[in-house]
Amino acid sequence: MKKRVKTNIGSYIFLMPALIIYLSVIVFPVFYSLYISLFKWNGIGDMEFVGLNNYINLFVSDPIFITALKNNIIWIVLTLVVTMTIALALAVMLNKQFKGRTFFRGFFYFPCVIAPIAVSIIWRWIYNPSVGFINEFASLLGLDFSQSWLSDPKVSIYAVFVAALWQAVGQPMILFLAGLQGVSTEVLEAAVIDGANGRKKFFKITIPLMKETFVIVIATLIVAAMKVFDVVQGLTGGGPNNATQMLSTYMYSQTFTYNNVGIGTAISCIMVIIMMLVIVPYVSFTAKDD
Amino acid sequence: MKSKKIISLLLASLMLLSVIITGCGNGGGESAESKSGTETTGTSGGSGKTSVTFWTLSTRQEALDEIAESFNAANDDVEVTISYYDTDGIKDACKVAASSGTLPNMWFNWGGSLGRFYVDNGATYDLTAYAKENGWSDIFTSGSLSLCTFDDQLAGYPTSYSVLNVYYRKDIFEQYGLEVPTTFEEFEEICATLKENGVTPISTAGLNGWHVMRFVELLVEYYAGEETHDALSTFDESWDNEYVIKALTKYKEFCEKGYFPDGFVTANPDDTRLAMMTGECAMDIQGQWYDGQILSDGGDLSLFGTFALPTSGTSRVSAFAEMTQFNANNSAEELEACMRFMDYYYNDENVEQYADFYNLPLPKIGSEAPEKYINIPTIMETAETNGTFTITDQAFPSEVADGLFNVQDAVANGEMTPEEGAAAIQAAVEAYQSK
Repeated sequence: MKKRVKTNIGSYIFLMPALIIYLSVIVFPVFYSLYISLFKWNGIGDMEFVGLNNYINLFVSDPIFITALKNNIIWIVLTLVVTMTIALALAVMLNKQFKGRTFFRGFFYFPCVIAPIAVSIIWRWIYNPSVGFINEFASLLGLDFSQSWLSDPKVSIYAVFVAALWQAVGQPMILFLAGLQGVSTEVLEAAVIDGANGRKKFFKITIPLMKETFVIVIATLIVAAMKVFDVVQGLTGGGPNNATQMLSTYMYSQTFTYNNVGIGTAISCIMVIIMMLVIVPYVSFTAKDD
Repeated sequence: MKSKKIISLLLASLMLLSVIITGCGNGGGESAESKSGTETTGTSGGSGKTSVTFWTLSTRQEALDEIAESFNAANDDVEVTISYYDTDGIKDACKVAASSGTLPNMWFNWGGSLGRFYVDNGATYDLTAYAKENGWSDIFTSGSLSLCTFDDQLAGYPTSYSVLNVYYRKDIFEQYGLEVPTTFEEFEEICATLKENGVTPISTAGLNGWHVMRFVELLVEYYAGEETHDALSTFDESWDNEYVIKALTKYKEFCEKGYFPDGFVTANPDDTRLAMMTGECAMDIQGQWYDGQILSDGGDLSLFGTFALPTSGTSRVSAFAEMTQFNANNSAEELEACMRFMDYYYNDENVEQYADFYNLPLPKIGSEAPEKYINIPTIMETAETNGTFTITDQAFPSEVADGLFNVQDAVANGEMTPEEGAAAIQAAVEAYQSK
């Protein structure tokens, strides 16, 4: 016999305010951006319908877009490999019992709460070739070393990444910490009894049991890597000569500096599509086993 | 239990209603929409007080907060609210506001392509008739009025006429027996001597590109000459030519010889003054506002002098105008309120009291800078005697200017040869023209 679901009108009424805000602030602008990307528009004047021309021109005849796309891919790879590894390592260390553990948890999480523009200011001075901490420390050690961290196109993207890493590692670290604390100690004890050493325990037991945590961390890191803007804009503005240009900074320039709103929104739509192409299959694949 | 349910439903419905009303409301007061969709953010009517908003540079905040406070206190029928932005921040903020129809009642802007954007898109108030009715031709200099005019439309209240010179440390020059150069070759010798003695010749910073551009455009003026330079600025001459290549070659040479600070390509232009104050650098290309900035930093202005870089012909200097633009949608009351505030902001009393926060002399007939700004008379004289050209980032549309800035970075880093750089600038011009 089918069970009749009782409709609770009150639930819908309670959901309505949040739904209105969500639709108007998030959903509508997304579709409106998609709509604008089909036009040539300077943000104020008349809109001229150009179809998919904005998208085609970006891939076919805009070398800066290709550079920005390449830089974003590099950033995503660095984020997944470096940020995630360091965050996991810190979480493992901070999961152990030792004196001052709470202080160190706060210490490594603290940069996360600093405003990104403040991070840019701090690291701009650290990287200053004349009086910056790194070069000054090197000369204090007697090393004949001087590097223009932000002005050298070969290293600038990595220098900006380090600044972003310093700020960003805290959040995935906390997520991993929560995941580690969710791993059953009985399972780990059973593994020890069966003769598993530390490494085997970690890779064969702990990590598989943290699958859901990895899904969340990887998804959020990919989104954050795709959207990276503040620290790049603050440190280099996308320079020198587009060496640190990202899709988000280029989107900003196209939209608000060059008044090519159609092209800017096309870039933002491409960013969303790329994120969906990476994240959706990954989440689906990992959810399959469940 | 039933009453609890009813109360909960009522509360939820009230919350929903308030969200809808807030979303549909316009904050009270009048606001009209024009063809360009630029609503004003001011209000009028109702209480009889006209509220207007003004966006301007954060470098003026210390003075403007007090000026606005005294203006609001003295004028019961007007209230001015000011928002502050940095140099590049205000450009972006105004663009965002123009796109969303939320431009303020009045905002600071530069001339050239920066100010023209709002005129071309119908976002600014046409002040032509207002200026005629109020005798602006007897108040403002004709030069400043013409720099604020685009296609016969007066688009702004002139607030400054800025001229760039090379500021130099007189004491450092004296220490190494250097004198103000009269030729470009003498200027190069000065740079070499300074470098030999551990002083970085030129303080500059390439983040956002425009500060380095101030030197590069002088090199273009030197090699191309006045007529060709003007043709380059209006895109009537190709940038892929021998003069631009020579200018970029010389710029590359200066980079390789270390005549600019280490890592200048991504350094912040706000920090060039620090290097001058500490004596780390001996020269900086700035406008007459630098006198006020040095004094407000607590610096000794007697240590600083200026000269026009010897280039070609009359050694023209770079110049540009600043203005306040007004929302095309201002009501008559709002425009009047804005003008009353502008006249108050730029009256003699406030200019004298807060002189360090103005670009003096004002673009008004008979206006002079206070005597404490010892370099301003020299700078303004170079504009008169040598002549001026429009600063490049105002002569160019933003995307072409960014193309030039990318070339500056690439040539400095060795990623491009001067020949490739000249071709890249021309490619940026052609890409813009084919839009």
